[in-house]
Amino acid sequence: MPTPVKMPRLGESVAEGTIGSWLKNEGDWVEKDESLAEIITDKINAELPSPIAGRLTKILVKVDETVPVGADIAMIEENADVSASPPAQAAPGPDAAPVKNPEQAATPVIEQSDTSASDGAGEAQATTASQRRDEEERQRISPLARRLAREHDIDLNQIAGTGAGGRVRKEDILAYVEQRRAAPAAVSAASSYATTVVEVDMTNIARWLEKNKEDFKRREGYSISFVPFVMKAVCEGIRKFPMINSSWTEDNKIIIKKRINLGMAVATDEGLVVPTLYDTDQYTIAGLAKQISAIAQRARTNKLTLQDMQNSTFVVNNPGTFGTIISVPIINQPHAGILSMDAVVKRPVVIEDDAIAVRSMMYLCLSFDHRILDGAGAGGFLQAVRTKLQSYGREIDVY
Amino acid sequence: MSAVTYLEAISQAIREEMRRDEAVFLLGEDVGTYGGAFKVSAGFLEEFGPDRVIDTPMAEAAIIGSAVGAALMGMRPIAEMQFIDFITCGFDQIINMANKMYWRVGMPVPIVIRGPSGGGTRGGPFHSSSPEAWFFHAPGIKVVVPSTTYDAKGLLKAAVRDNNPVLYLEHKLLYRLPELREELPEEDYVVPLGKAITRREGEDMTILTYGAMVHQSMKAARVLEEENDLEVEVIDLRSLTPLDREAILESVKRTNKVLIVHEDTLTGGIGAELAAILAEDLFEYLDGPITRVAAPDVAFPYAPPLEEAFLPNADKILDAARKLAAY
Repeated sequence: MPTPVKMPRLGESVAEGTIGSWLKNEGDWVEKDESLAEIITDKINAELPSPIAGRLTKILVKVDETVPVGADIAMIEENADVSASPPAQAAPGPDAAPVKNPEQAATPVIEQSDTSASDGAGEAQATTASQRRDEEERQRISPLARRLAREHDIDLNQIAGTGAGGRVRKEDILAYVEQRRAAPAAVSAASSYATTVVEVDMTNIARWLEKNKEDFKRREGYSISFVPFVMKAVCEGIRKFPMINSSWTEDNKIIIKKRINLGMAVATDEGLVVPTLYDTDQYTIAGLAKQISAIAQRARTNKLTLQDMQNSTFVVNNPGTFGTIISVPIINQPHAGILSMDAVVKRPVVIEDDAIAVRSMMYLCLSFDHRILDGAGAGGFLQAVRTKLQSYGREIDVY
Repeated sequence: MSAVTYLEAISQAIREEMRRDEAVFLLGEDVGTYGGAFKVSAGFLEEFGPDRVIDTPMAEAAIIGSAVGAALMGMRPIAEMQFIDFITCGFDQIINMANKMYWRVGMPVPIVIRGPSGGGTRGGPFHSSSPEAWFFHAPGIKVVVPSTTYDAKGLLKAAVRDNNPVLYLEHKLLYRLPELREELPEEDYVVPLGKAITRREGEDMTILTYGAMVHQSMKAARVLEEENDLEVEVIDLRSLTPLDREAILESVKRTNKVLIVHEDTLTGGIGAELAAILAEDLFEYLDGPITRVAAPDVAFPYAPPLEEAFLPNADKILDAARKLAAY
């Protein structure tokens, strides 16, 4: 059964994409993850990796044509090998479901198999199904699945089977029913946001940066700023409060992510993008500075890959570079939260012994999903981040 | 009280039934002086005397025919086949006499025909067979297959007390298996005929099996849980006639996938009938093909490697179960 390749969603609020060029011709064999085409969007250009190994049987969208996110752009005939994954699972590409709300529109993550029962999804999938019929492929359905579909009034064409050879079986129907049942609830409960703010004394880090910034850049070839310090502290905070690094699923479950992949908001000429810094917790501060610099460079030169735009688990945003002092960031769904670092500014503050001193102060603003976290969890996390940032002395080892 | 073997449980059942009811007696080849080929009736001659523990000629038609006659005269004979393979020599006496008598003349035939069945003991083609399917097909006789020591005793007692002919198939591989040793209740008990038992509960798949294959299926189910995260339900049928339809249908209705395992050869076996029942009654509850694991349709081989290849085992069950789970 040919598997459709869909137009990926490359970045937040991107609704359509243009085929820049086809890197493969009809009839070519492609390996999984081999580049199929170059995709151009308002924000980034990227090469599209093939979701599966197989033969590119049909190119559906010509070069320079623009189609909506989720539209089928090509068909790949899978290897006849039975071990090959069934199409619905194999395609790691974005799904056909349209954006349901503004929070989702801002999601940089390309979601998998969001088969909510919205009309648009139905249409996209129906297209696939009719294509299947055209090719006189018979959908495989277990007797039980057929009965359950009838009882739940489900159009079997809307269901992708996960059994051997793509067969629709019990779990596929039950998952669909569960999803259909949970979907409205998830939407209605979607926007219980809260934002909480702490003030952090960044004086020692500010002094260190002032003193070492130039040397560092000359020595390493890339700059260092407050951002890697904050990211490092965020990783430590996540370790203490793992719920920060989680997401809310369509079927109302919370998934705590093991990997810490911080998304990082980068302003480009084309708009804001939020590429991912994988395994953020594995780097030193200098290592983070290098990664941040490299990703920002890729973003500004339009060289972000699909991989760069996926799999973030939490976002650190730095509007402070524009001088903002308090921000209320919007969560990148389905993340549990987002942290904004605002400008580090000198302020007179009361320190020990009621003395007044000039200190470099910064507000950290955490917006969080109240379904996942309560004020205590969010506050505890912010406290941990602040403690880490304030723990540095005059001398800081960034390596 | 100490734990007894499967064989000792059979022996206990016969002895206790003979003590309980004067009408019960044992006949067969070498059951008296020698105490039975496998020593099931060791000491019986001494306790009950030659009128109730009767050594017969090597003639299964005569053994079963005599038992039928005695039953018509009000006795409750237990006829032993030295190896169950030789029951074929008494086939006519079972099918045409014992099975049909009640319908013909309205007289019950309360006999038990029992003997060692099954392979895995290097017994070759004449000492290893599983003959249940022939009798399963024939109306008029009950067929029971115990897999545990407790059931061996309880089913045999129930068989003796039943007013119909009962074929009781003990598995010789289980006779002295140490892991089947079990402490049995002091008091008298029976395991009712026609009642299956769930040996292991699960939601992902049902294995229907009986006899020695219960243990292979349990082994496979444990591996499937550990390695494949599959919860497999294992149902020990215990009685093939009458079948516990209720238990079978209830389980498969819930798990939606079924694997049938028997040691007997595939074609026309117990699995074929189970598959037909499931297809007829539960077609729209099935989420995968009714699958059978059984011996191939050839004569029971003597060579050890061939015997290994011939007999179903936990590995073969695992393969089939994994395919079915992924279906």
